[in-house]
Amino acid sequence: MKIIVAIKQVPERDAQVRIDAAGKWIDESNLQYALNESDAYALEEALQLKEKSAAAGGEVVVVSVGPERVGQTIREALAKGADRAIHIVCDDLGLRDALGVARLLAAAVKPENPDLILTGLQSEDLGLGQTGVIVAELLGLPHATLILNVEKTETGLKVKRELEEGWFQTIELPTPAVLTIQSGGNKLRYATLMGIKRAKMKEVRQLTAASLGVDAPPVVVLEHVALPQKQKSTQILPGTAKEAAAALVEKLKFEVRVL
Amino acid sequence: MSGVLVVVEQREGRIARISWEAVAAGQKLGATLTLPVSAAVVGAQTESFAAEIAARPLDKVFRVEHPLLARYTPDGFSLALHQLIQAESPACIVFPHTYQVRDYAPALAARLGQVLIGDVTAIGDGPVFTRQLLQGRLNGAYRPTGSGPCLISVQAGAFRAEAPEAGASAAPATVTTFVPTLESAQIRTTPGEPFRGGSQTVDLSSAQMIVCVGRGIKDAENLPLVQDLATALGAELAASRPICDNGWLPMERQVGSSGQTVSPKLYLGVGISGAIQHLVGMKGSQCVVAINKDPDAPIFEVADYGIVGDLFEVVPALTEAIKAARQ
Amino acid sequence: MILFLPTFAEPQHFSFFEKLLFTGLVLASAYGFWRRFGLVLKKILKSKKDPSFHLFPIGKRVWDFVWEVLCQAKVIRERPLPGLAHAFVFWAFCAFALVTLNHCAVVFGIGFLSPAGTIGRLYYYFAAVFALFCAVGIAGLFVRRFLVRPKWLGARLSWESGFIALLIFVLMATYLASFFIADADPSARTLWWIHTLALLTFLPIIPYTKHLHLILSPATVFLSRGSFAQIPPLSGDEDFGLVAGTDLTRLVSLQAYSCVECGRCTEHCPAANTGKLLNPKEIILGVRAYLNDLGPSSDQPLLGKYNQQEAVFQCTTCGACEFQCPVGIEHVPILVGLRRGAVNTGAWEDQYGSKLFLALERGSNALGISPAERDKFIQKQQLPIFDGTQEYCLWLGCMGGYDPKGREIVAAFARVMNYLGTSYGVLRKEKCTGDPVRRLGNDLVFQQLAEANLEALAQNKVKKIVSICPHCVRTIQEDWKEYGTPPEIEHHSEFLARFADKLPRSTTTATNPESFVSGHDFSHAASAPNSPGALAPEVRSSPVPAPAASHPVPEKIVFHDPCYLGRYRNVYDQPREVASLAGELVEAPRHRERSFCCGAGGGLSFLGEETGERVSHVRAAELVATGATTVGTACPFCNSMFRDAFDAKGEGAPQLLDIAQLAARGLPPGEAS
Repeated sequence: MKIIVAIKQVPERDAQVRIDAAGKWIDESNLQYALNESDAYALEEALQLKEKSAAAGGEVVVVSVGPERVGQTIREALAKGADRAIHIVCDDLGLRDALGVARLLAAAVKPENPDLILTGLQSEDLGLGQTGVIVAELLGLPHATLILNVEKTETGLKVKRELEEGWFQTIELPTPAVLTIQSGGNKLRYATLMGIKRAKMKEVRQLTAASLGVDAPPVVVLEHVALPQKQKSTQILPGTAKEAAAALVEKLKFEVRVL
Repeated sequence: MSGVLVVVEQREGRIARISWEAVAAGQKLGATLTLPVSAAVVGAQTESFAAEIAARPLDKVFRVEHPLLARYTPDGFSLALHQLIQAESPACIVFPHTYQVRDYAPALAARLGQVLIGDVTAIGDGPVFTRQLLQGRLNGAYRPTGSGPCLISVQAGAFRAEAPEAGASAAPATVTTFVPTLESAQIRTTPGEPFRGGSQTVDLSSAQMIVCVGRGIKDAENLPLVQDLATALGAELAASRPICDNGWLPMERQVGSSGQTVSPKLYLGVGISGAIQHLVGMKGSQCVVAINKDPDAPIFEVADYGIVGDLFEVVPALTEAIKAARQ
Repeated sequence: MILFLPTFAEPQHFSFFEKLLFTGLVLASAYGFWRRFGLVLKKILKSKKDPSFHLFPIGKRVWDFVWEVLCQAKVIRERPLPGLAHAFVFWAFCAFALVTLNHCAVVFGIGFLSPAGTIGRLYYYFAAVFALFCAVGIAGLFVRRFLVRPKWLGARLSWESGFIALLIFVLMATYLASFFIADADPSARTLWWIHTLALLTFLPIIPYTKHLHLILSPATVFLSRGSFAQIPPLSGDEDFGLVAGTDLTRLVSLQAYSCVECGRCTEHCPAANTGKLLNPKEIILGVRAYLNDLGPSSDQPLLGKYNQQEAVFQCTTCGACEFQCPVGIEHVPILVGLRRGAVNTGAWEDQYGSKLFLALERGSNALGISPAERDKFIQKQQLPIFDGTQEYCLWLGCMGGYDPKGREIVAAFARVMNYLGTSYGVLRKEKCTGDPVRRLGNDLVFQQLAEANLEALAQNKVKKIVSICPHCVRTIQEDWKEYGTPPEIEHHSEFLARFADKLPRSTTTATNPESFVSGHDFSHAASAPNSPGALAPEVRSSPVPAPAASHPVPEKIVFHDPCYLGRYRNVYDQPREVASLAGELVEAPRHRERSFCCGAGGGLSFLGEETGERVSHVRAAELVATGATTVGTACPFCNSMFRDAFDAKGEGAPQLLDIAQLAARGLPPGEAS
């Protein structure tokens, strides 16, 4: 089975959020980057699928869009066990909307003729959660989102999809297909020194928007960004036990919305 | 281009609050753009839903009906809605930001050459749509620049759903049935029946609500007090290490560095002081509530809401209040 | 005078047949010796060269050799009675070198120690004294091994040891007996031959048994890595730690063959003492068995048949084994080396370990908490930010930055520094030093962390660091060297001890332990980050004025030596000096160099539940048994382990305070930052 995993490099979760001079995005100087978490789960799922059918052979190819620095994250993915990579070098990722990015990915993936395309559910920076679904639409493939587990069947795939409030659902679909993977379905493997050293010898093919012939203006733009108003702080609910309990129930009902 | 279309989601025989919030958002957008607001509901038997929606101050209600829409599939729903949108050509389409919408709306938007602006928390003049970035640490304002319809989905709780006014002056909206052209071959995925995750064993990691008890409970005999609270809330009962060490609760209910890592919507700590070994296990909780008699207990550092008091008084009071609220 | 004492009887003339027989026996014995010893030597020399080994500076090596080998200091210090018995055997062997040489020389008529001559006579008496002590010593050791049977020696009785003891006893007895007969007496010849046979039997047995240490351990001690528990750098692109035989270095192989199986390492090992699989002696013997069976060129994995992965990952790296070892085996680099082999190749699969590695691959701290929490703490505590002008950079570490209890320690230490007028600041951003991943063998993540931190420190122009965590101190000072030059660093106990005479003694008296809430003391609001508004001391003590309060008794404090401060850094007196500001010190049975681990080190505090008894509980019980009202710690990891253990104990547990908190106790109120 040939599996493509679309991954994204995102600012480290610890990154300090400062808005840049133009007010359009965060200041990227001094930022550190990491592999998007749900993409790490997508990669893990792909590696496990390949390992499960090791006899049948298989290939895991990672693909990522972004500037040169994305090469580092691609290396990490190769270190974890991907066989080769496609890097769509693109310095204006911020100017492209989800459709634009998906077009780049679809154009790069199409000639590979994969059996399965996996990607994380959503990115930690933009949180759009759309790229995989749009890629499926552009390639004319069936898709399923919020997937925790993938099983190969005679005819295609059987996947476990997360629904709201602790419910799940099994979905069957033919291959080739696109799945977006939810975090937590598998246990992630850690990166190893040996993996990093071996990754140096794996192929990373570089493509560009121009070489893929993708060029369309965005239909949605991020006009400006702002820091949210409120900071999290502890609210102590005063009064007698009864009063405090009543106040808490109000909060649970209207603010936490769990009642 | 003719108005704002709100896509209402029906599941398990009812329309959830978030859909009414989407209607509210649609109405706000309609007011901004001075456009009429309509709604659509998709399914195989939508009559009663349509009637319920029509009671709201809306222009039209579309019943998108087809036997192949009985169960949700991304192919079926995007095909059907695509046809409705082509027929009605709305200027804006508003969805509730649910798992279902996240599953098909991006594909629908792409089919229209558009991009869904998802998880919107506010609508500003222009219109510009605000959504959270970097996991809530940044807000971004998005503006559609394309020529086609604009699609947005709204975050749960971002817009206040007005209760339908009893005996409202406006006449109910007209209900139109729209039958899309669908063939079973076009639907490529086969969904199974929904099921509950692992009810056999305790699975704290996927629990939505957790009541966690610590040393403050003093004795195993007092545990029913906290168990009652968990039952009233519909939450899982968990504990810190000393409680499980003492055998008062099984080890599988232990939260912390040597137990489970949990990320519920609500974590309610009772008599938990907040040792680091425990904090690392529950730091992913969305909302943390702490009840402890020691105002300096570290758990209050990470809590959203705190009650400083004797748990033997607060917990029974809280259980009663929750029961009352649930009725 | 001397003439009246008996003379050593030694046959002076040997027949041709005797000469031939003797020569034959010597050759046979030497052959028997070399047949095995040559093989061992080949295995050691065929092992990989130690890439980072330097013979120089040689001074320390010579000193270690004199002190540990010639003076037998370690052997005696750690087990005085058997140690002394062993030392006498050793010294007797040394004294006998000349006697034995002469013993063989006389066969060919070239003896150089005449029993009748003054020098010879004196030397024979000198050797006799040793022979006497040696005979007593070896008999004592025999009794210990076969009658007392300490469990560290293993369940299996070593008959070869008994036989060797017998041979040594025979050697000594025949020597001593020779003083009581005349030269001409035929029994002199008989004694000579018995002595010779014992000697020539002994020689070939040496390399086949643990008595190989006679020959190897002096070399092992001399050729050690140079500092305690030193983890050598990996070399080249194919070095991932100890994966297979080809990764065993000469030092590792030499050490494996040097093991004398005394079991001191096991006796002091926290894992072996709490029912875990790990037994450090067996680890070393496992490596030896691997070398015996497969050799240093094998690519078979080291973990599996000969050593178990589970055992290797139960090590807290407390270093008690290495510290105790009388033959110079460095257990910690071997155990960490085996972990490196498993982790750097991805062979180790552990839910908690993966979680830790992933947290540090992506985030900044081992606890996986958002650094925004650290920022909040710094703000709340109003800790100054390091800007290059201050003298000290106060390194918070993961525990100091994120653990509520660790934060209290930092807060207390900051109060003391404020009182002393020390200029200090904390870094805006700090990553974990990499201690847990270093000890667990994840070189990839360790390198990333060390490099990022070194860069940040250089950017901030940090010259001196002070830290509340011995693990941070050790890792920064020693382990980071692999990737750059770390700034000077000291532990807060060293800092505080320097200023101890400037700090007021606290007048607090012992309170009834029952009055403390849940065993750990949150009521020290003055040092708690949560409430800058300090509660007055009166409010702190028991709400009902206890009768004891009118008869103040000095606080009894037991100080627990953290492994990474004591054995790793050789700092024992400074924290005691600081702790004694707040009361009277008592000692736990195992203290200073022999302190027993809290169970947290080696990354183990992140690895979930232990099998067997919890190390922390064993140690906590030992500390409680001293009757102290306060347990003093100097490491936030020890502190968190004991807090957990005392929590389980419930009410009546002693107070648990870091030395910084003890030092801050005597400060006037309102001194908070």
